Amino acid sequence: MKSVQHPRRLSGAVALIGVTALLVSGCTREEASTPSSSGTAEASPGITDTTVSLGISSPLSGATAGPGSCTVAGLDSFLEAKNAEGGFTFGDGKTRKVTLEYLDDAYDPAKAVANFRQLVNKGIFAYVGALGTPTNAAVMPIANQQEVPQVLLTAGAGEFSDDQQANPWTSGFVPTYTTEGAAFGKLLVDANQPITVATLVQNDDYGTGYLDGFQSAIEGSQVKVLDSATYEPTDTSVDGQVTQLAASKADVLLSAVSVTPLQVGVLTKAQSLGWKPRIFLPSNTSTPATVLQPGGAAAYPDVYTPSFAKTPASPAFANDPDVQAYNTAFEQYGSKITKTYTPHCAWSYAEGAVLGEAFSTMEEPTREAFMTSLRSISGFQAPLLLDGITIDTTKEDQAAVFTVNLVRYNGTGYEPVQGY
Amino acid sequence: MSYFVQLVVDGLATGSIYGALALAIVLVNRSTGMINFSQGALAVLSTFVAYAVVQAGGPLLLGLVVAVAFGVVLGAVLERLVVRRFEGGDPNTAVVATIGLLVLVSGIAGAIWSYDPRAFPSLFPNETLALGGVFVSVRSLGTTAVLVAVMVALQLLFRATKLGLAMRAVADNPGSSALSGLPVSRLLMLGWGIAAGLGAVAGVLVAPQLFISPTMLDFTLVYALAAAILGGLDSPLGAVVAGWFIGVVENLAGAYVDVIGNDLKIAVPFAAMIVVLVLRPQGLFGRRTVVRV
Repeated sequence: MKSVQHPRRLSGAVALIGVTALLVSGCTREEASTPSSSGTAEASPGITDTTVSLGISSPLSGATAGPGSCTVAGLDSFLEAKNAEGGFTFGDGKTRKVTLEYLDDAYDPAKAVANFRQLVNKGIFAYVGALGTPTNAAVMPIANQQEVPQVLLTAGAGEFSDDQQANPWTSGFVPTYTTEGAAFGKLLVDANQPITVATLVQNDDYGTGYLDGFQSAIEGSQVKVLDSATYEPTDTSVDGQVTQLAASKADVLLSAVSVTPLQVGVLTKAQSLGWKPRIFLPSNTSTPATVLQPGGAAAYPDVYTPSFAKTPASPAFANDPDVQAYNTAFEQYGSKITKTYTPHCAWSYAEGAVLGEAFSTMEEPTREAFMTSLRSISGFQAPLLLDGITIDTTKEDQAAVFTVNLVRYNGTGYEPVQGY
Repeated sequence: MSYFVQLVVDGLATGSIYGALALAIVLVNRSTGMINFSQGALAVLSTFVAYAVVQAGGPLLLGLVVAVAFGVVLGAVLERLVVRRFEGGDPNTAVVATIGLLVLVSGIAGAIWSYDPRAFPSLFPNETLALGGVFVSVRSLGTTAVLVAVMVALQLLFRATKLGLAMRAVADNPGSSALSGLPVSRLLMLGWGIAAGLGAVAGVLVAPQLFISPTMLDFTLVYALAAAILGGLDSPLGAVVAGWFIGVVENLAGAYVDVIGNDLKIAVPFAAMIVVLVLRPQGLFGRRTVVRV
């Protein structure tokens, strides 16, 4: 009996000491951070004459880990490649190297907030490129209250871009879901013929954004929505919804599903029911290798998706200097973070260039000067963007990229599309 | 009409996924008296072993066999090294320990295979049969068939074999079982081992649809626990039937009741569960616990 009890007491004591140590270290860290944020130095935290420190929290585990890891890997590739060339030239004439701290939030808003606080305590200059609507929405009020830039977010919800007066420290990078939905609606309207549509959307801002954009585009046209369904991102399967929509026999399915396995499920289920509509996929679940091929997308007459960036693996761009630079940089740096490509890798690489553009006109080492520079970019040809798409941060109610081209799946990759 | 049948068939297919994991939960409960929250994570880790075999060029069937063997060993080892320390103590502590295992085992799978969801090959051809206007995928049929076979085997194990009787005795009253000469600790190890092996089967069956990742079964576990409790925690038949019930009711309520729609459809089977449990606390197929004074 004694031999059993002693270890228990011992482990209890160890646990107690452990918890106490955690509490103490937690408290001291908090205290230590106070002086640095109320410092009187001219420069903002996280920037010196030779370095600037950036932070990002994205899902690196869980169902959204693929896209999340890419938002770090692509950005890191651009920044490290530029560091290796000597660094970024700033508007104040100094050259600085950029460090990127990244943390995993598993798409959990509570963790994202904790990560944001941790990064700010560590002294980052700006929080950049984070993926996820719910996570960034949770961080937004804190970032604006603490006046820390939370910029070029990889989140398509309108709320990060459509009111820059209310949230001056926040900005979105990728086109909003409304933009994507509207682009598809316009394609159908331009066909100038009666078209029936079924919609399947995620039951949150992501889904409503799509639907709003789509519906405002088709208003008063010959395009009619016959049936709509929603799903929760935590659902095991959306077979029931697809069966329900298939009963409408619509010509077109707008499948605004953000979860990879569920999107594959939509593609396999609809064709197994003998329903083969033209399909519209959102940009974040339209990767050929992970969604279209497993889903057997070639069975459908057409699969469309919005795009604004070049696909680095596509043979069509093999001789493109931007793509070659990306591939070299990704091989060397980004591939240490993830090996699986999603378009987010290309997007966050372009986002690195936008940061560089903002740095180049930033005349003081302060967060205010950075925001001013970042908000005054227009007509900037960032690497990897498709022809005709440029960065414009001067619109007060739009993300940095607010035009998309629609592309069509051709069995292996995507090609530009002219009409329905 | 075929629309209705189609919804039912889809619901049965989804319900089979819940039922597969629920069976493993029931098995652990039946043989050790515990609820194991790490059941899903153990299943995923074993499924990853099958994935590794397939990646190395082996056939999926070999992967399944290796995964089941791995699962049995993993379950037995965890029982011996970790869970053993909590048996006979406060059951709540043991439950929390299994939640700890859930986090640990998922983390190990994530560290080795990363968190990207990956496509997983299916044991059954990716074809669809059209039966009188209703479409059934061969994969769902296969999953359901295996599930029913396993369920029958488990029922037989517990009802018709001496081993099953011994396992039930140990779960029910470890003290008296030990006094009657039963090897209690080995039987507990065996219970965990078989349950984890069964979890491996469930994982390999559902991975083609869910895509394999360390968190593949996290949400499924919620439904599986619900199915296990609704069916009666000690009844394999109950777990499977309740899994189907949840899948079907969820689909029908979403499609036919406008007020509910897709937003609230998952609440319907859970509301039904509360009603059932109020009327029959032991679950649909569970045996009532009788306490002799």
